[in-house]
Amino acid sequence: MPDTDHPAVDSSNARSLAPVDPDSDEYLLVETGNSQSSKAFNRLFQRYSSKIYAMGMKLTRNEQLSKDLVQEAMLNVWRKARLYDLDRGTAQSWIFTIARNRCFDMLRKLKRQPNCVTADDIWPQDNGSESALLPEGALHGEQGSLVAEASIIASYCKQLPEPQQAVIEQVYILDRTHDEAAEILKIPLGTLKSRLRLGVAKLRQLIGIDL
Amino acid sequence: MNNDLDCHPATEMINKYVQGSLPTGWNVVLSAHLELCQKCRQEYGDLESAEVLSWSEGPVEEVANDFSDLVANIIQHPQQSAADIPLSQESSITEIHMLDHSFTLPRVLAKAANDGLEWKKLAGGINQAKVNIDTETQCEFIYMSPGSQTPMHRHQGNEITLVLDGSFSDSSGTYEAADFIIRNNNDEHQPVSEEGCLCFAVLDSPLTFTQGLARLFNPINRFKFRKTIARQS
Repeated sequence: MPDTDHPAVDSSNARSLAPVDPDSDEYLLVETGNSQSSKAFNRLFQRYSSKIYAMGMKLTRNEQLSKDLVQEAMLNVWRKARLYDLDRGTAQSWIFTIARNRCFDMLRKLKRQPNCVTADDIWPQDNGSESALLPEGALHGEQGSLVAEASIIASYCKQLPEPQQAVIEQVYILDRTHDEAAEILKIPLGTLKSRLRLGVAKLRQLIGIDL
Repeated sequence: MNNDLDCHPATEMINKYVQGSLPTGWNVVLSAHLELCQKCRQEYGDLESAEVLSWSEGPVEEVANDFSDLVANIIQHPQQSAADIPLSQESSITEIHMLDHSFTLPRVLAKAANDGLEWKKLAGGINQAKVNIDTETQCEFIYMSPGSQTPMHRHQGNEITLVLDGSFSDSSGTYEAADFIIRNNNDEHQPVSEEGCLCFAVLDSPLTFTQGLARLFNPINRFKFRKTIARQS
Protein backbone atom coordinates (compact mmCIF):
# COMPACT_ATOMS: atom_id res chain seq x y z
CA MET A 1 0.00 0.00 0.00
CA PRO A 2 1.48 3.35 -0.96
CA ASP A 3 0.00 4.69 2.18
CA THR A 4 1.61 6.44 5.07
CA ASP A 5 -1.06 4.95 7.26
CA HIS A 6 0.75 1.68 7.33
CA PRO A 7 -1.11 -1.32 8.81
CA ALA A 8 1.59 -1.56 11.44
CA VAL A 9 0.45 1.82 12.71
CA ASP A 10 -2.98 0.34 13.23
CA SER A 11 -1.66 -2.50 15.27
CA SER A 12 0.32 -0.19 17.54
CA ASN A 13 -2.81 1.92 17.91
CA ALA A 14 -4.63 -1.20 18.96
CA ARG A 15 -1.92 -1.73 21.51
CA SER A 16 -2.31 1.69 22.98
CA LEU A 17 -6.00 0.86 23.37
CA ALA A 18 -4.89 -1.97 25.64
CA PRO A 19 -7.23 -2.94 28.46
CA VAL A 20 -7.21 -0.55 31.35
CA ASP A 21 -7.51 -3.13 34.12
CA PRO A 22 -3.83 -3.57 35.04
CA ASP A 23 -4.52 -6.97 36.55
CA SER A 24 -6.24 -8.42 33.46
CA ASP A 25 -4.47 -11.16 31.56
CA GLU A 26 -4.57 -9.04 28.41
CA TYR A 27 -2.86 -6.13 30.15
CA LEU A 28 -0.19 -8.42 31.58
CA LEU A 29 0.44 -10.02 28.21
CA VAL A 30 0.74 -6.67 26.43
CA GLU A 31 3.06 -5.48 29.22
CA THR A 32 5.18 -8.62 28.85
CA GLY A 33 5.59 -7.81 25.18
CA ASN A 34 5.85 -4.03 25.32
CA SER A 35 8.35 -3.68 28.12
CA GLN A 36 9.67 -7.20 28.67
CA SER A 37 8.21 -6.93 32.14
CA SER A 38 9.33 -9.93 34.17
CA LYS A 39 6.81 -8.95 36.82
CA ALA A 40 3.88 -9.15 34.40
CA PHE A 41 5.23 -12.39 32.98
CA ASN A 42 5.61 -13.83 36.46
CA ARG A 43 1.93 -13.09 37.15
CA LEU A 44 0.92 -14.84 33.93
CA PHE A 45 3.11 -17.77 34.88
CA GLN A 46 1.40 -18.06 38.26
CA ARG A 47 -2.04 -17.88 36.70
CA TYR A 48 -1.55 -20.21 33.81
CA SER A 49 0.96 -22.85 34.83
CA SER A 50 -1.58 -25.01 36.65
CA LYS A 51 -4.05 -24.73 33.77
CA ILE A 52 -1.39 -25.71 31.25
CA TYR A 53 -0.29 -28.52 33.53
CA ALA A 54 -3.90 -29.77 33.70
CA MET A 55 -4.15 -29.67 29.91
CA GLY A 56 -0.91 -31.63 29.69
CA MET A 57 -2.18 -34.30 32.08
CA LYS A 58 -5.40 -34.62 30.10
CA LEU A 59 -3.57 -35.06 26.80
CA THR A 60 -0.46 -36.98 27.87
CA ARG A 61 -1.34 -38.56 31.25
CA ASN A 62 2.29 -38.07 32.17
CA GLU A 63 3.53 -35.78 34.92
CA GLN A 64 6.97 -35.15 33.50
CA LEU A 65 5.61 -34.35 30.05
CA SER A 66 3.06 -32.03 31.60
CA LYS A 67 5.80 -30.16 33.46
CA ASP A 68 7.78 -29.94 30.24
CA LEU A 69 4.69 -28.58 28.54
CA VAL A 70 4.34 -25.79 31.12
CA GLN A 71 7.91 -24.73 30.48
CA GLU A 72 7.67 -25.06 26.70
CA ALA A 73 4.32 -23.24 26.44
CA MET A 74 5.30 -20.42 28.80
CA LEU A 75 8.57 -19.96 26.92
CA ASN A 76 6.49 -19.51 23.77
CA VAL A 77 4.19 -17.05 25.54
CA TRP A 78 7.26 -15.01 26.47
CA ARG A 79 8.83 -15.18 23.04
CA LYS A 80 5.65 -14.30 21.17
CA ALA A 81 4.22 -11.77 23.61
CA ARG A 82 5.13 -8.85 21.35
CA LEU A 83 2.98 -10.34 18.60
CA TYR A 84 -0.13 -10.32 20.75
CA ASP A 85 -2.65 -7.54 20.52
CA LEU A 86 -6.31 -7.27 21.29
CA ASP A 87 -7.28 -8.03 17.69
CA ARG A 88 -6.08 -11.54 18.36
CA GLY A 89 -8.78 -12.22 20.91
CA THR A 90 -8.51 -12.81 24.62
CA ALA A 91 -5.22 -13.62 26.31
CA GLN A 92 -6.83 -16.85 27.47
CA SER A 93 -7.57 -18.09 23.99
CA TRP A 94 -4.15 -16.97 22.75
CA ILE A 95 -2.37 -18.90 25.51
CA PHE A 96 -4.71 -21.89 25.10
CA THR A 97 -3.75 -22.12 21.42
CA ILE A 98 -0.05 -21.94 22.22
CA ALA A 99 -0.32 -24.64 24.90
CA ARG A 100 -2.43 -27.01 22.77
CA ASN A 101 -0.19 -26.60 19.74
CA ARG A 102 3.04 -27.05 21.67
CA CYS A 103 1.63 -30.13 23.36
CA PHE A 104 0.69 -31.61 20.01
CA ASP A 105 4.14 -30.99 18.52
CA MET A 106 5.85 -32.31 21.66
CA LEU A 107 3.89 -35.56 21.49
CA ARG A 108 4.57 -36.01 17.80
CA LYS A 109 8.27 -35.53 18.36
CA LEU A 110 8.18 -38.01 21.21
CA LYS A 111 6.39 -40.60 19.09
CA ARG A 112 8.88 -39.92 16.29
CA GLN A 113 6.11 -39.06 13.86
CA PRO A 114 7.16 -37.61 10.52
CA ASN A 115 7.41 -33.85 10.78
CA CYS A 116 5.59 -33.06 7.54
CA VAL A 117 2.76 -31.30 9.33
CA THR A 118 2.97 -29.29 12.53
CA ALA A 119 0.31 -27.97 14.88
CA ASP A 120 0.46 -24.59 13.19
CA ASP A 121 -0.52 -26.20 9.88
CA ILE A 122 -3.39 -28.08 11.48
CA TRP A 123 -4.87 -25.26 13.55
CA PRO A 124 -4.31 -22.28 11.34
CA GLN A 125 -3.97 -19.35 13.67
CA ASP A 126 -2.11 -16.22 12.91
CA ASN A 127 -0.10 -16.31 16.10
CA GLY A 128 3.05 -15.75 14.18
CA SER A 129 2.19 -13.34 11.45
CA GLU A 130 1.66 -9.63 11.44
CA SER A 131 -1.62 -7.99 11.87
CA ALA A 132 -2.23 -6.97 8.26
CA LEU A 133 -4.74 -9.03 6.33
CA LEU A 134 -2.23 -9.90 3.65
CA PRO A 135 1.46 -10.44 4.27
CA GLU A 136 3.44 -7.34 3.42
CA GLY A 137 5.35 -9.23 0.75
CA ALA A 138 2.13 -10.13 -1.02
CA LEU A 139 1.07 -6.50 -1.17
CA HIS A 140 4.28 -5.24 -2.65
CA GLY A 141 5.53 -8.33 -4.39
CA GLU A 142 4.55 -9.40 -7.85
CA GLN A 143 2.89 -12.59 -6.83
CA GLY A 144 0.58 -14.00 -9.46
CA SER A 145 -1.61 -15.57 -6.82
CA LEU A 146 -2.52 -12.20 -5.35
CA VAL A 147 -5.42 -11.72 -7.75
CA ALA A 148 -6.86 -15.06 -6.76
CA GLU A 149 -6.41 -14.27 -3.09
CA ALA A 150 -8.10 -10.92 -3.49
CA SER A 151 -11.11 -12.58 -5.06
CA ILE A 152 -11.33 -15.10 -2.22
CA ILE A 153 -11.18 -12.27 0.27
CA ALA A 154 -13.79 -10.33 -1.65
CA SER A 155 -16.17 -13.26 -1.39
CA TYR A 156 -15.70 -13.43 2.37
CA CYS A 157 -16.14 -9.68 2.60
CA LYS A 158 -19.79 -10.07 1.69
CA GLN A 159 -20.36 -11.75 5.04
CA LEU A 160 -19.27 -8.66 6.97
CA PRO A 161 -21.63 -5.94 8.17
CA GLU A 162 -22.15 -3.30 5.48
CA PRO A 163 -20.12 -0.51 7.15
CA GLN A 164 -17.08 -2.80 7.59
CA GLN A 165 -17.38 -4.01 4.00
CA ALA A 166 -17.33 -0.42 2.81
CA VAL A 167 -14.10 0.51 4.61
CA ILE A 168 -12.34 -2.68 3.55
CA GLU A 169 -13.36 -2.08 -0.03
CA GLN A 170 -11.99 1.47 0.07
CA VAL A 171 -8.70 0.60 1.73
CA TYR A 172 -7.80 -2.90 0.59
CA ILE A 173 -9.51 -3.17 -2.78
CA LEU A 174 -9.53 0.41 -4.09
CA ASP A 175 -6.20 1.07 -2.36
CA ARG A 176 -7.23 4.43 -0.88
CA THR A 177 -5.42 5.93 2.08
CA HIS A 178 -7.27 6.00 5.37
CA ASP A 179 -7.77 9.76 5.04
CA GLU A 180 -9.19 9.49 1.53
CA ALA A 181 -11.45 6.61 2.50
CA ALA A 182 -12.80 8.46 5.54
CA GLU A 183 -13.58 11.47 3.40
CA ILE A 184 -15.30 9.43 0.69
CA LEU A 185 -17.40 7.53 3.23
CA LYS A 186 -18.01 10.74 5.22
CA ILE A 187 -17.02 9.18 8.51
CA PRO A 188 -14.42 10.31 11.07
CA LEU A 189 -10.95 8.84 10.66
CA GLY A 190 -11.17 7.11 14.06
CA THR A 191 -14.41 5.39 13.08
CA LEU A 192 -12.86 4.25 9.85
CA LYS A 193 -9.89 2.78 11.65
CA SER A 194 -11.95 0.92 14.19
CA ARG A 195 -14.28 -0.46 11.49
CA LEU A 196 -11.25 -1.50 9.50
CA ARG A 197 -9.74 -3.23 12.48
CA LEU A 198 -12.94 -5.05 13.38
CA GLY A 199 -13.58 -5.98 9.75
CA VAL A 200 -10.08 -7.33 9.23
CA ALA A 201 -10.21 -9.32 12.48
CA LYS A 202 -13.56 -10.79 11.45
CA LEU A 203 -12.25 -11.60 7.98
CA ARG A 204 -9.24 -13.37 9.40
CA GLN A 205 -11.58 -15.37 11.56
CA LEU A 206 -13.83 -16.22 8.61
CA ILE A 207 -10.99 -17.20 6.37
CA GLY A 208 -9.33 -19.06 9.18
CA ILE A 209 -6.01 -19.33 7.38
CA ASP A 210 -2.96 -17.27 6.74
CA LEU A 211 -3.22 -15.98 3.25
CA MET B 1 -22.34 -30.12 -1.15
CA ASN B 2 -24.69 -32.95 -0.38
CA ASN B 3 -27.70 -31.52 1.41
CA ASP B 4 -29.69 -34.69 1.96
CA LEU B 5 -27.07 -36.53 3.96
CA ASP B 6 -25.16 -35.18 6.89
CA CYS B 7 -21.74 -34.86 5.33
CA HIS B 8 -20.10 -32.96 8.13
CA PRO B 9 -18.04 -34.05 11.13
CA ALA B 10 -20.05 -34.60 14.32
CA THR B 11 -19.82 -31.95 17.02
CA GLU B 12 -18.04 -34.40 19.27
CA MET B 13 -15.32 -34.89 16.70
CA ILE B 14 -14.84 -31.16 16.13
CA ASN B 15 -14.60 -30.79 19.88
CA LYS B 16 -11.81 -33.35 20.09
CA TYR B 17 -10.07 -31.48 17.29
CA VAL B 18 -10.36 -28.28 19.33
CA GLN B 19 -8.85 -30.06 22.33
CA GLY B 20 -6.07 -31.62 20.30
CA SER B 21 -6.90 -35.17 21.30
CA LEU B 22 -7.31 -36.82 17.87
CA PRO B 23 -4.64 -38.74 15.96
CA THR B 24 -2.85 -36.49 13.51
CA GLY B 25 -4.40 -38.00 10.38
CA TRP B 26 -7.87 -37.17 11.66
CA ASN B 27 -6.79 -33.68 12.63
CA VAL B 28 -5.49 -33.16 9.12
CA VAL B 29 -8.70 -34.22 7.37
CA LEU B 30 -10.78 -32.11 9.79
CA SER B 31 -8.57 -29.11 9.23
CA ALA B 32 -8.98 -29.51 5.45
CA HIS B 33 -12.76 -29.85 5.77
CA LEU B 34 -12.96 -26.72 7.92
CA GLU B 35 -11.11 -24.79 5.26
CA LEU B 36 -13.76 -25.84 2.73
CA CYS B 37 -16.86 -25.60 4.94
CA GLN B 38 -17.96 -22.34 6.48
CA LYS B 39 -20.67 -23.95 8.61
CA CYS B 40 -18.18 -26.21 10.39
CA ARG B 41 -15.64 -23.39 10.67
CA GLN B 42 -18.28 -21.42 12.54
CA GLU B 43 -19.02 -24.38 14.78
CA TYR B 44 -15.30 -24.82 15.41
CA GLY B 45 -15.06 -21.18 16.50
CA ASP B 46 -17.95 -21.59 18.93
CA LEU B 47 -16.60 -24.84 20.36
CA GLU B 48 -13.15 -23.38 20.75
CA SER B 49 -14.50 -20.40 22.66
CA ALA B 50 -16.38 -22.77 24.97
CA GLU B 51 -13.31 -24.96 25.44
CA VAL B 52 -11.10 -21.99 26.25
CA LEU B 53 -13.66 -20.83 28.80
CA SER B 54 -13.87 -24.17 30.55
CA TRP B 55 -10.09 -24.54 30.41
CA SER B 56 -9.52 -21.15 31.94
CA GLU B 57 -11.97 -21.99 34.70
CA GLY B 58 -9.95 -25.15 35.33
CA PRO B 59 -7.57 -25.37 38.29
CA VAL B 60 -8.04 -21.94 39.79
CA GLU B 61 -5.39 -22.14 42.48
CA GLU B 62 -2.44 -20.06 41.54
CA VAL B 63 0.64 -22.11 41.90
CA ALA B 64 2.35 -21.20 45.10
CA ASN B 65 5.68 -22.73 44.15
CA ASP B 66 8.50 -20.40 43.50
CA PHE B 67 9.03 -20.40 39.81
CA SER B 68 11.51 -17.58 39.86
CA ASP B 69 14.31 -19.78 38.53
CA LEU B 70 12.21 -21.00 35.66
CA VAL B 71 10.92 -17.51 34.91
CA ALA B 72 14.44 -16.07 35.17
CA ASN B 73 15.60 -18.68 32.70
CA ILE B 74 12.78 -18.01 30.24
CA ILE B 75 13.22 -14.26 30.20
CA GLN B 76 16.81 -14.73 29.07
CA HIS B 77 15.38 -15.69 25.69
CA PRO B 78 14.91 -12.99 23.10
CA GLN B 79 11.37 -12.07 22.16
CA GLN B 80 10.17 -12.28 18.59
CA SER B 81 8.98 -9.28 16.70
CA ALA B 82 6.69 -9.35 13.69
CA ALA B 83 9.69 -8.77 11.43
CA ASP B 84 11.34 -11.98 12.65
CA ILE B 85 8.53 -14.18 11.42
CA PRO B 86 9.17 -15.52 7.96
CA LEU B 87 6.17 -15.51 5.67
CA SER B 88 4.69 -18.96 5.73
CA GLN B 89 6.74 -21.17 3.50
CA GLU B 90 5.22 -21.90 0.15
CA SER B 91 4.62 -25.60 -0.20
CA SER B 92 6.10 -27.01 -3.36
CA ILE B 93 2.80 -28.71 -4.18
CA THR B 94 -0.20 -26.48 -3.84
CA GLU B 95 -2.42 -27.93 -6.49
CA ILE B 96 -3.23 -31.25 -8.08
CA HIS B 97 -3.66 -31.40 -11.83
CA MET B 98 -6.43 -33.51 -13.26
CA LEU B 99 -7.52 -34.19 -16.81
CA ASP B 100 -8.80 -30.77 -17.76
CA HIS B 101 -8.28 -28.60 -14.73
CA SER B 102 -6.37 -28.32 -11.49
CA PHE B 103 -7.43 -28.11 -7.90
CA THR B 104 -5.85 -25.94 -5.22
CA LEU B 105 -5.30 -27.98 -2.09
CA PRO B 106 -6.36 -26.83 1.37
CA ARG B 107 -3.31 -25.50 3.19
CA VAL B 108 -2.72 -28.47 5.49
CA LEU B 109 -2.96 -30.92 2.59
CA ALA B 110 -0.52 -28.88 0.52
CA LYS B 111 1.87 -29.14 3.43
CA ALA B 112 1.27 -32.88 3.82
CA ALA B 113 1.88 -33.42 0.10
CA ASN B 114 5.00 -31.30 0.16
CA ASP B 115 7.42 -34.19 -0.21
CA GLY B 116 5.78 -35.15 -3.49
CA LEU B 117 2.97 -37.52 -4.36
CA GLU B 118 3.64 -40.91 -5.84
CA TRP B 119 0.50 -41.95 -7.68
CA LYS B 120 -0.21 -45.64 -8.04
CA LYS B 121 -2.81 -47.04 -10.41
CA LEU B 122 -5.20 -49.46 -8.74
CA ALA B 123 -7.91 -51.54 -10.39
CA GLY B 124 -11.07 -49.90 -11.77
CA GLY B 125 -9.62 -46.51 -12.71
CA ILE B 126 -8.63 -45.62 -9.17
CA ASN B 127 -5.35 -43.86 -8.41
CA GLN B 128 -3.88 -43.62 -4.97
CA ALA B 129 -1.07 -41.54 -3.47
CA LYS B 130 -0.18 -42.26 0.13
CA VAL B 131 0.95 -39.57 2.48
CA ASN B 132 3.04 -40.41 5.50
CA ILE B 133 1.45 -38.42 8.32
CA ASP B 134 1.40 -40.55 11.43
CA THR B 135 1.57 -44.11 12.67
CA GLU B 136 -2.03 -44.41 13.82
CA THR B 137 -3.77 -43.77 10.54
CA GLN B 138 -3.21 -44.31 6.87
CA CYS B 139 -3.70 -41.18 4.81
CA GLU B 140 -4.00 -41.03 1.06
CA PHE B 141 -5.18 -38.99 -1.84
CA ILE B 142 -7.55 -40.92 -4.08
CA TYR B 143 -8.28 -39.89 -7.63
CA MET B 144 -11.16 -41.72 -9.28
CA SER B 145 -10.96 -41.28 -13.04
CA PRO B 146 -14.23 -40.44 -14.83
CA GLY B 147 -16.30 -43.60 -15.08
CA SER B 148 -14.34 -45.46 -12.42
CA GLN B 149 -15.70 -47.88 -9.87
CA THR B 150 -14.08 -49.36 -6.78
CA PRO B 151 -14.77 -52.99 -5.92
CA MET B 152 -17.49 -53.56 -3.30
CA HIS B 153 -15.76 -53.32 0.04
CA ARG B 154 -16.40 -53.18 3.74
CA HIS B 155 -14.42 -51.27 6.32
CA GLN B 156 -12.85 -52.90 9.32
CA GLY B 157 -12.37 -49.69 11.19
CA ASN B 158 -13.22 -46.11 10.43
CA GLU B 159 -12.60 -44.37 7.18
CA ILE B 160 -13.08 -40.67 6.63
CA THR B 161 -13.29 -39.47 3.07
CA LEU B 162 -13.19 -35.79 2.24
CA VAL B 163 -14.28 -34.95 -1.29
CA LEU B 164 -11.99 -32.25 -2.63
CA ASP B 165 -13.13 -31.96 -6.22
CA GLY B 166 -15.63 -33.67 -8.51
CA SER B 167 -18.11 -36.18 -7.10
CA PHE B 168 -18.77 -39.84 -6.45
CA SER B 169 -21.84 -41.89 -5.56
CA ASP B 170 -22.69 -45.04 -3.68
CA SER B 171 -25.96 -46.63 -2.66
CA SER B 172 -26.51 -43.92 -0.02
CA GLY B 173 -26.16 -40.95 -2.32
CA THR B 174 -23.90 -38.62 -4.21
CA TYR B 175 -21.04 -36.73 -2.58
CA GLU B 176 -19.57 -33.47 -3.76
CA ALA B 177 -16.74 -31.12 -2.88
CA ALA B 178 -16.30 -30.49 0.86
CA ASP B 179 -18.43 -33.49 1.84
CA PHE B 180 -17.03 -35.33 4.86
CA ILE B 181 -18.03 -38.98 4.87
CA ILE B 182 -17.41 -41.42 7.72
CA ARG B 183 -17.66 -45.15 7.12
CA ASN B 184 -17.27 -47.85 9.72
CA ASN B 185 -17.38 -51.61 9.74
CA ASN B 186 -21.14 -51.74 9.27
CA ASP B 187 -20.90 -50.14 5.88
CA GLU B 188 -20.38 -52.05 2.71
CA HIS B 189 -20.23 -49.92 -0.37
CA GLN B 190 -19.14 -49.61 -3.94
CA PRO B 191 -18.34 -46.02 -4.88
CA VAL B 192 -18.58 -44.98 -8.52
CA SER B 193 -17.62 -41.70 -10.11
CA GLU B 194 -19.00 -40.51 -13.41
CA GLU B 195 -17.25 -37.18 -13.68
CA GLY B 196 -14.10 -38.12 -11.76
CA CYS B 197 -13.33 -37.32 -8.16
CA LEU B 198 -10.40 -36.23 -6.04
CA CYS B 199 -10.60 -37.21 -2.36
CA PHE B 200 -8.42 -37.28 0.71
CA ALA B 201 -9.03 -40.37 2.83
CA VAL B 202 -7.92 -41.34 6.33
CA LEU B 203 -8.24 -44.94 7.49
CA ASP B 204 -7.59 -46.37 10.87
CA SER B 205 -7.51 -49.91 9.57
CA PRO B 206 -7.41 -51.67 6.21
CA LEU B 207 -10.39 -52.29 3.98
CA THR B 208 -11.82 -55.74 3.46
CA PHE B 209 -13.06 -56.49 -0.03
CA THR B 210 -16.22 -58.55 -0.02
CA GLN B 211 -16.92 -59.23 -3.65
CA GLY B 212 -15.45 -61.30 -6.45
CA LEU B 213 -11.80 -61.70 -7.22
CA ALA B 214 -10.86 -58.69 -5.19
CA ARG B 215 -11.44 -60.79 -2.06
CA LEU B 216 -8.27 -62.64 -2.92
CA PHE B 217 -6.37 -59.49 -2.20
CA ASN B 218 -7.50 -59.25 1.39
CA PRO B 219 -4.48 -60.85 3.08
CA ILE B 220 -2.15 -58.86 0.87
CA ASN B 221 -4.09 -55.73 1.57
CA ARG B 222 -3.79 -56.24 5.29
CA PHE B 223 -0.15 -57.08 4.91
CA LYS B 224 0.39 -53.90 2.91
CA PHE B 225 -1.28 -51.87 5.59
CA ARG B 226 0.90 -53.36 8.27
CA LYS B 227 3.91 -52.74 6.12
CA THR B 228 2.96 -49.11 5.70
CA ILE B 229 2.53 -48.73 9.42
CA ALA B 230 5.82 -50.51 10.10
CA ARG B 231 7.69 -48.35 7.63
CA GLN B 232 6.36 -45.25 9.30
CA SER B 233 7.25 -46.23 12.82
